Amino acid sequence: MKGPNRLRGLRLLLGRVRAFMVRDFQLALSYRLQFFFKMLEVLFIVTTLYFISQIFAGQAVTDFAQWRNPLAAWLTGLAVLNYFMTGFSSLATAIRSEQMQGTLEGVLMTPISVPTLIVASSAWDFVQATFFSFFYLLIGWLFFGVQYRGNFLLALLILILTTLVLASIGILSASFAIVFKRGDPFAILLGTGAALFSGVLFPTQLLGSAFGRVSSLLPMTYGVDGIRRVLIEGQGFNEVRAPVSTLCLFLVVLLPFSLWVFARAVRRAKREGSLIQY
Amino acid sequence: MKATDAETERCTDVQPLHRRGDTETKRDAHLAPETAPVAVSIEHLSKTYPVPLARLKQFFRRKSARPVEALRDVSFDIKTGEVFGLIGRNGAGKTTLTKIIATLVQPTTGAVKVRGHDSVGDEQLVRAQIGLASAEERSFYWRLTAEQNLVFFARLYGLPDRAARTRIRELLALIELEEVARRRFGELSTGNKQRMAVARALLNSPPILLLDEPTRSLDPLAAARLRALIGSLARATPPVTILLTSHNLAEIEELCERVAIIGRGRIRATGTPSKMRALHRQQERVRINVRGVAASRVAEILPDAHAEVSAHDADVLITLLREPSDDSLDRTLRALLADGARVVSCETERATLLDVLESYEGEETEAEAQRLEGGRKEGEKGGER
Repeated sequence: MKGPNRLRGLRLLLGRVRAFMVRDFQLALSYRLQFFFKMLEVLFIVTTLYFISQIFAGQAVTDFAQWRNPLAAWLTGLAVLNYFMTGFSSLATAIRSEQMQGTLEGVLMTPISVPTLIVASSAWDFVQATFFSFFYLLIGWLFFGVQYRGNFLLALLILILTTLVLASIGILSASFAIVFKRGDPFAILLGTGAALFSGVLFPTQLLGSAFGRVSSLLPMTYGVDGIRRVLIEGQGFNEVRAPVSTLCLFLVVLLPFSLWVFARAVRRAKREGSLIQY
Repeated sequence: MKATDAETERCTDVQPLHRRGDTETKRDAHLAPETAPVAVSIEHLSKTYPVPLARLKQFFRRKSARPVEALRDVSFDIKTGEVFGLIGRNGAGKTTLTKIIATLVQPTTGAVKVRGHDSVGDEQLVRAQIGLASAEERSFYWRLTAEQNLVFFARLYGLPDRAARTRIRELLALIELEEVARRRFGELSTGNKQRMAVARALLNSPPILLLDEPTRSLDPLAAARLRALIGSLARATPPVTILLTSHNLAEIEELCERVAIIGRGRIRATGTPSKMRALHRQQERVRINVRGVAASRVAEILPDAHAEVSAHDADVLITLLREPSDDSLDRTLRALLADGARVVSCETERATLLDVLESYEGEETEAEAQRLEGGRKEGEKGGER
């Protein structure tokens, strides 16, 4: 009996994820211009970075192999940063926006569990993030001659792994949103600190030993480094084993911890009667 | 995914709707509330909202508000197919109680069982059996159409697409929203938004409906139709159990088999509206309007010495109190007619739920005043010591 029940449960889960994705697609359609302006924004950013990269043409520091073509390094960095930040922020944003709109009560009256609600309501964000991440890389390849090589599947594996680690931190952030409503310390740490410490815009080696330690504590650093090694330097699994192992370690520690914290946060909000408040 | 997710699917099988008139014939099949099984059981329910971050505030020695006691030892049952009314003033605890039944808030102590399922332990199973229609219009997506909103919620209930579409068509027809189905929710009138909340609550044909002021923003005609629908749902097969909270006491009297009065978080009284009225006021007031006789003469001929008599132009108004079963009205009318008076009108005025509510409110105010007075005296004694 367990098999058919599980299958039915999975079908229900997928149905609900689809419901949220269709809803968000319909909402996005009601703001058509926003999507095109976002595409235009990416185009402007990539073009700007191309011209900045021209300043360094022929002067790239050879110590940092990933940065011999700065434009390629920036584009991979920004593409994965966009994805990672979605993994990190979309869970808390999903809860917060339902609270703000006042729709959380209606949604929670259906037989949906809070974890399902969070996963399902952030699904559309991942679809958008995937689109725009590839859009960064596509524009670089199409208009500015940026070449990517290496094992794309391995890059995808690192991308998924890092996104899961960041989603675990995102669950902590969502827990914070459920209890405290505003002022998220994780967002400050990872949101504003990501570009500075994780090597998205410049090599982390330039940070020096003190700031370098901060950099080594961020899972994003390993994700960005791993993906660049694969896509820019063409490295294989053996060479990227170190960042992959570190990411696995982060995941093993953070995922169960964040789920535990999340369950406690939901219980507390229900006790306080503040689950649907913002 | 928990196994309960799969189980809840069984509760979302679509039941055919009973249209107006269709259910009238099923009245006989409707179980009498006395013999019907319990649908919602509330046992010694208390809810105290804790002060958020109280320990943190204590640590920083900051003054914090006191915990709010919203419900205190609330117990009652709602039988299957019963329309149960919950009345009380603003802040009495109606919404908290509704939200606890709907699993949106956890009780501090006590339990709510919905068809045998615990509202805390089996919350998904409970939610699969409950439809909540609140007056909160922000609980919809304003940029989606009415139909898109209902399709979204139907999918969350696990309804297959085809069944969902059929159900939504039925519901839109039933609550007369077909014409605005393709309009954005934000463009609907307040009344239509409220009707949408009822449609959503009925999406998965729940055996239990929680209706929070369902007719608040409706025009009189639409309100009457919705009341007819509520009545027909309770008489349908299988019957729908309804908890109705409303400030419209006439609506409660019209629809509810039993009523609970809630005040300051406590259930003050539970019973049928007629029993409550009888408990509140044994006597009924009769107003008789007569012509063709002088007011002074009326006072002389009336058998009841306590009747009030007043004259307004040619009309004489007689007001008397009587026991519902005594013959004082009969004797009065005979005396008036024998003296040549013409009876223009005769109205009986019974106690209403408003009178009952007012009497409990009076008791509460008195008790609160006594409590405050007691506290003040205690304080004074403490000061003297």
